[in-house]
Amino acid sequence: MPRIHLGSWAKTAVDWLQAHLGGLFDAISTVLSGMYDGVDAVLGAPNALLMAGILAVVAWWLRGLLAAVLAFAGLALIDSFGLWHEAMSTLSLVLVASAITLLTAVPLGIWAARNRRVSGVLRPVLDVMQTMPAFVYLIPGVMFFSIGTVPGLIATVVFSMPPGVRMTELGIRQVDGELVEAAKAFGTPPRDTLTRVQLPLALPTIMAGVNQVIMLALSMVVIAGMAGAGGLGEAVYAAVTQVDIGRGVESGLAVVVLAMYLDRMTGALSRRVSALGRRAAAAQGAAGLSRYASVLRYRPGTAVATVGVVVLALVAGGMRIAGGDGDRDTVAAGKNVGQGKSVRLGYFPWDEAIASTYLWQNILEDRGYKPDVKQLDPGPLYTALAQGQMDVQFDSWLPTTHKQYMDRYGDKLTDLGSWYGPTSLELTVPSYVKDVNSLADLKGRSSEFGGRIVGIEASAGMMGKLNDKVLKEYGLDGEYKVVSSSTATMLADLDRAIKKKEPVVTTLWSPHWAYGTYDLKKLKDPKGAWGEGEQIHAVGKKDFAKDFPRVAEWVKNFKMSEKDLSSLEAEIQKGGKGHEKESARRWLDARPGLEDRIAPVR
Amino acid sequence: MSRLQAEHLFKVFGRRPEAAVPRLKSGASREELRAEGTTAAVIDASFEVEAGQIFVVMGLSGSGKSTLLRMLNGLEDPTSGRVLYDGQDLTALSPRELREVRSRNISMVFQHFALFPHRSVLENAGYGLEVRGVPRAEREERATEALHLAGLKGWEKSWPDELSGGMQQRVGLARALATDADLLLMDESFSALDPLIRRDMQDQLLDLQKRLKKTIVFITHDLNEAMRLGDRIAVMRDGRIVQNGTAEDILVRPANDYVASFIQDVDRSRVLTAGSIMERTAGVPDGAATVSAEAPVAELFAPFACNGDPVVVTDEAGRPTGVVTRDRLMAALSDRPVQRPEEVTAGA
Repeated sequence: MPRIHLGSWAKTAVDWLQAHLGGLFDAISTVLSGMYDGVDAVLGAPNALLMAGILAVVAWWLRGLLAAVLAFAGLALIDSFGLWHEAMSTLSLVLVASAITLLTAVPLGIWAARNRRVSGVLRPVLDVMQTMPAFVYLIPGVMFFSIGTVPGLIATVVFSMPPGVRMTELGIRQVDGELVEAAKAFGTPPRDTLTRVQLPLALPTIMAGVNQVIMLALSMVVIAGMAGAGGLGEAVYAAVTQVDIGRGVESGLAVVVLAMYLDRMTGALSRRVSALGRRAAAAQGAAGLSRYASVLRYRPGTAVATVGVVVLALVAGGMRIAGGDGDRDTVAAGKNVGQGKSVRLGYFPWDEAIASTYLWQNILEDRGYKPDVKQLDPGPLYTALAQGQMDVQFDSWLPTTHKQYMDRYGDKLTDLGSWYGPTSLELTVPSYVKDVNSLADLKGRSSEFGGRIVGIEASAGMMGKLNDKVLKEYGLDGEYKVVSSSTATMLADLDRAIKKKEPVVTTLWSPHWAYGTYDLKKLKDPKGAWGEGEQIHAVGKKDFAKDFPRVAEWVKNFKMSEKDLSSLEAEIQKGGKGHEKESARRWLDARPGLEDRIAPVR
Repeated sequence: MSRLQAEHLFKVFGRRPEAAVPRLKSGASREELRAEGTTAAVIDASFEVEAGQIFVVMGLSGSGKSTLLRMLNGLEDPTSGRVLYDGQDLTALSPRELREVRSRNISMVFQHFALFPHRSVLENAGYGLEVRGVPRAEREERATEALHLAGLKGWEKSWPDELSGGMQQRVGLARALATDADLLLMDESFSALDPLIRRDMQDQLLDLQKRLKKTIVFITHDLNEAMRLGDRIAVMRDGRIVQNGTAEDILVRPANDYVASFIQDVDRSRVLTAGSIMERTAGVPDGAATVSAEAPVAELFAPFACNGDPVVVTDEAGRPTGVVTRDRLMAALSDRPVQRPEEVTAGA
């Protein structure tokens, strides 16, 4: 069987589209992100508890008092986790994606129901859309639309589309043929047959499809988070990559609360909007309830609910005006270089990246910029920089580790110079592992280490180098298997092994806080297989120096010593996840004058 | 002119239906075509329906009667042939014009009622008017009126699923009456009802028909129903109309063995009327029992049970128009048709 190069054809097609239809994708991107930003601005504007109140009134109107109380409690819980803005971003993403999906899916479903050929063509397409692993959509999504909300939105739309189409088609086909014939027999035009008879009767099924669409959209937010869409997905993804159980559980629970809210509300909405549903509800209501139950099920009329929502919204608006916009004023007089200009800082979850990025976030804020910090994997981050969707990142290991990205995107990036170096890459063992001091000593001892070397992210340049060069050089390639995971997993594994005093060999690099925390041995590399030490560069998008001349100047002059960097990393490590910014602030405040040296104001 | 005329209607399903029509005209059988993958549902059907008449099309399932009915209001396009309503060729109309005819002139009552479950009884009854764009107030007034006619006073606010089958079909009937269409197409409209209700509905339809004088095409597979309702009856078999005549024509002079076998189970004493079997005479015996011409012959049994004297038949005004003798009654009730010289030419 000859190899069919479907994969490379797909890649060629994507490249071609990228080259020739860039304008179209930009337009789509602008429209979609505009929609998202609009909805997000509305949902995110009110105070958290007020917004929870508004959502609870909606629940009251649709389902009753008990649902309202539970909804409020669940949403308040999200706020107490400190995930309110993330939750509202996710809600916006889900609402926008669902709206787009339904506006496409329902007409498609109607068309398919009325035309067998369309139905026949759509069926396999829908199968593909539904079963293709959702990650796959992210790759071209990121290539066409760069990272951020848009590829996440598009992947979500593609993934959640099939049930919308299918349920609409099914619902319309299920309508009794005699009823359709009756409509025709009384002279109903085809369009009216659809609106007067088929759609109303198909509505319960279509609403079940709507519910499915929304739930699938919500299930996609975590995956969308990998492509840089904000919200709970990002929080979950960050928690996963940083092995932060607490954060993971909290953000996961927030997703569950949103899911339950949306599920119950769309379920109730379908009873509200369809005549058949209203009939069923009325019949159920007439069955007679105890007084206690009837209080819990009491639902305000539409007018009352509308008044409630409007009042809460007005209060929210009033509070916003009264509260004002306080952040801007904290910039010290004479130091407002940025004038509120946004800077997008990207980082992947490597410690020196986290440390430098949050340090710069603090500095840039103090200089009047609005830094927007986002976590991504290296691949998507470089792509984003090359496409100008991200402004700068601080953790480019050159010339070796990130060579592949520089080779690919070098001409679309600006090297802002090295701020730290030289670094070293190494394999490390705990010092209690006797007689292993050099890479050569690993040979023949694979059983001791379980045959594995604990690695980091598979996309890291270091991993490629380890597999392709270092192991071969020392004849270890058949003997050891490099397990790729993530930096955090590697460190967790190291921590676990050290606590149990088990032998373990991990990839590590200097500088790293782990060397200060544990008693570790760097394995010597007499053959120089790892190559020379590297420099850590800051890399900006192509027009970075033009768009941010002052920042470019500061970053170019930025340098950090090993001592400073390790102490900053240690401070952040101590502060814990979710408090990186505050930790960097503390570190900065403990060094008076440093900020003015890094970012001097003329 | 007749209100409704069907001229050589053909309906063929399957591949290249037009090609099948000339073959059927030249005598090809349904089976020959079926072997080639085409199905002839209706073959060369022609008939006329006079205004104010109930025309019943009777046949077993698969005989093509429902397809025939659907060609009359254009729900099915005839493969060949024409449908004339008041002389207007419906098959030549544009879809929009055809819809106009359906919403004003021809309405339909369905076998399984086909009521819209998401609409109240009143909204169902007013559906045809709503499609036509009649304003709400007038629509509801006319729908209410139609519901009263159909015997559903006080049920306007109910929902279809709260009604019994008979009542649901009354709503179906009201929906058809509300548009003031002159032509009602009734597709096995009472077949889904149980026998007692069915009889009630038949009575009510006859009662309504006396007052409203609609033109009705009624499809049924039940010969007794056909005999009760039909001013004229067309019997269909395998897509063809095999006989078209009055109830008595069919009972007394079945066109072929198929029709003859069909009518075996019919209760003749309830179908044949005294008027149809009487002998016209000028002289009337004094003191004889009398029945109206409309009365089923079953009503003659009681007088004949008392004595053998002929029974006098009277017209609507009560004037004697003829007599029925005992022998004549017996002959009429026998299975085998009695051919009498003076009636051979009087048939359909």
